[in-house]
Amino acid sequence: MAGIVVKDLYKTYKGAEEPTLKGLSFSFREGSIAGLLGPNGAGKTTTISIICGLVRANDGQVLINDMPQDAAHRERIKKLIGVVPQRIALYPQLSAVENLTYFGNLYGFKGKALLQRIMELLEVFGLEKSAHKEIYKYSGGMKRRANIIAAILHNPSLLVLDEPTAGVDVQSRGMILQFLRDYNRQGNSILYTSHLLEEAQSLCEEVVIMDEGQMIVQGNPKELIQSQPTCDNLEDVFLHYTGHALRD
Amino acid sequence: MLRLLATIRKEWQLLVRDKTGLTLLFVMPVVLITVMALIQDAPFKDYQEVKFDILTVDNDHGRLGRSIREGLEVGGQFRIIDSLDGQPLTTEKARQLVNDGTYKISIIIPSGATGSIVSNANRIVNDISHRMGMTLALPVKKGSDSLNVVVYFDPAAKKAFKGAIHQAIDNFLTQVETDMLLGRIRQELRSKDTTVTAASDTLPIKLQAVGLKEESTGTGQQIDVISNSVQHNVPAWSIFAMFFIVIPIAGNMIREREDGSLLRMKLIPGSYLEILAGKMLFFVGICVVQFYCMMLVGIYIMPLLDLPRLVMGRDAGATLLVASAIGLAATSYGILIGTLFKTPNQALNFGAISIVILSAIGGIWIPLEIMPMKMQVVGRLSPLSWGLDAINDIYLRNGNIAYVWKNVLRLMLTGLTMLAIAGYVEKRRMN
Repeated sequence: MAGIVVKDLYKTYKGAEEPTLKGLSFSFREGSIAGLLGPNGAGKTTTISIICGLVRANDGQVLINDMPQDAAHRERIKKLIGVVPQRIALYPQLSAVENLTYFGNLYGFKGKALLQRIMELLEVFGLEKSAHKEIYKYSGGMKRRANIIAAILHNPSLLVLDEPTAGVDVQSRGMILQFLRDYNRQGNSILYTSHLLEEAQSLCEEVVIMDEGQMIVQGNPKELIQSQPTCDNLEDVFLHYTGHALRD
Repeated sequence: MLRLLATIRKEWQLLVRDKTGLTLLFVMPVVLITVMALIQDAPFKDYQEVKFDILTVDNDHGRLGRSIREGLEVGGQFRIIDSLDGQPLTTEKARQLVNDGTYKISIIIPSGATGSIVSNANRIVNDISHRMGMTLALPVKKGSDSLNVVVYFDPAAKKAFKGAIHQAIDNFLTQVETDMLLGRIRQELRSKDTTVTAASDTLPIKLQAVGLKEESTGTGQQIDVISNSVQHNVPAWSIFAMFFIVIPIAGNMIREREDGSLLRMKLIPGSYLEILAGKMLFFVGICVVQFYCMMLVGIYIMPLLDLPRLVMGRDAGATLLVASAIGLAATSYGILIGTLFKTPNQALNFGAISIVILSAIGGIWIPLEIMPMKMQVVGRLSPLSWGLDAINDIYLRNGNIAYVWKNVLRLMLTGLTMLAIAGYVEKRRMN
């Protein structure tokens, strides 16, 4: 079963001169770790926003586990998806426990069961000792890890992450990537964007490279590297398809 | 319900850790209302409680001078000064002291003023007697010399103040002239009827058959409150402070949008409206708490500063309803600004300046009634003026819900309209 299907997606923001998405199409199977890669301005964040139901496409269709992303299915799809935004979407003045309790309550969880789940996840992410410390006192890596916990409180079967390891140290990055592998092994799908192509090469089973609102190529990283005799790694493949020109 | 309660708790946790926000919401308004009540105490007392010194030069030394002096002193609002440094005042000195602003008013009673009044009264009585076929010739001055009581005002004196003094002195003059005329008539009537003595005269001639009496507009059970600095400033600046909740709300909303927590909330199943309702309830509650804190300052702190004690009317339910409606309008305005503007700086500047403008035109700084007519029309469109009108209805007019429902409805509808606009703008962002 296909986890995510994107068909002929078009999107032009109001007031924009150029469309952001121009007939984007790709699909990822359910239970895979997939990477959505592209240079700045390629349309990755818009694509993720449409997949999550935050932005409406002008044309085209998105299917999540065979359900169309429309008003009729939006609530059901929200239950399936967990999103880790690029920014730390937590209240800096509140502690991790207070933040996670609040977002847990919004999901409808409460009481001891919620607190137990929060403490388990804080332990998994190595934050149990800082559970009651305000988020603004956390290091960059700690904030990233707390940001992920807030997205998986409801145990989503599709986890969407927008550059989850940006600006974190090697230890935190290793921990986060290991968690993603473990989470995927439990049968959950992961869609992830990153500019760290070495990381994407090691983590993803499938990648889509997109540029200027269109899909350029899709495939398994190893197969994509092998298909280009001049390429030794995913970064070479990426540059091969997207070029060396600087982007705005 | 869980989402709503969780949002209220979250907002509470955020607020108690935001020392600047707490200061802005609770400490600054207390300072503001105290300072404003103290500053505006004198202007409010201007024509009510302040005693004015009146320089009086009595060149007449007759009944008119005595009458004007007694009339001015009896109300307790004026203090007559007829000598300075042990020297009797002269017309020239009085004019100079008023002109340089040392005193506000001077009255010069001309020499022979009482004589002129007596002469005039005699002339009228002679005329009446002649027409009734009697021969009477009371002494009358030759010619018709016209004398004036002269009043000098400080050039900076307000028009209304000058008008009030003019009116008062004119009344004393009329009173003296009438008394004198009636006295003469009575005297002549008695002289024609030898059986009546002064002690047995049963024909008193009284000038005022219909008198003037000021009464409270309320019933006997209600409180008689007059507008003063505290009655105006405490509710007015409390409403101003309540609207300043726009700043933390707008900042809070923009931060949530910027850091992605708004996005996270929208990705969670369930209506965002429930979260928004929790936020609204919390901030409306804060506004109401703010309002009552300010009222406590008016009741307990103002008297310690030699200011009058705030009187809150008799309908506590109506007061709570008005405070909640003001809170709803202020909170909705904050949400609208937080939705429309992209950065906290933009929201802060626009929010603060717009509230200052709305308060200025809405009668918070000075009562709407003393503004030019065109500004009064504009001012009646300000939600702050609706709030203040409603509070004045309760506090000064002993009103109840029947008095305030229109303004409450205006505030609520405005609040809901602003929320609807914010919702529309937010929805458009999805496209």
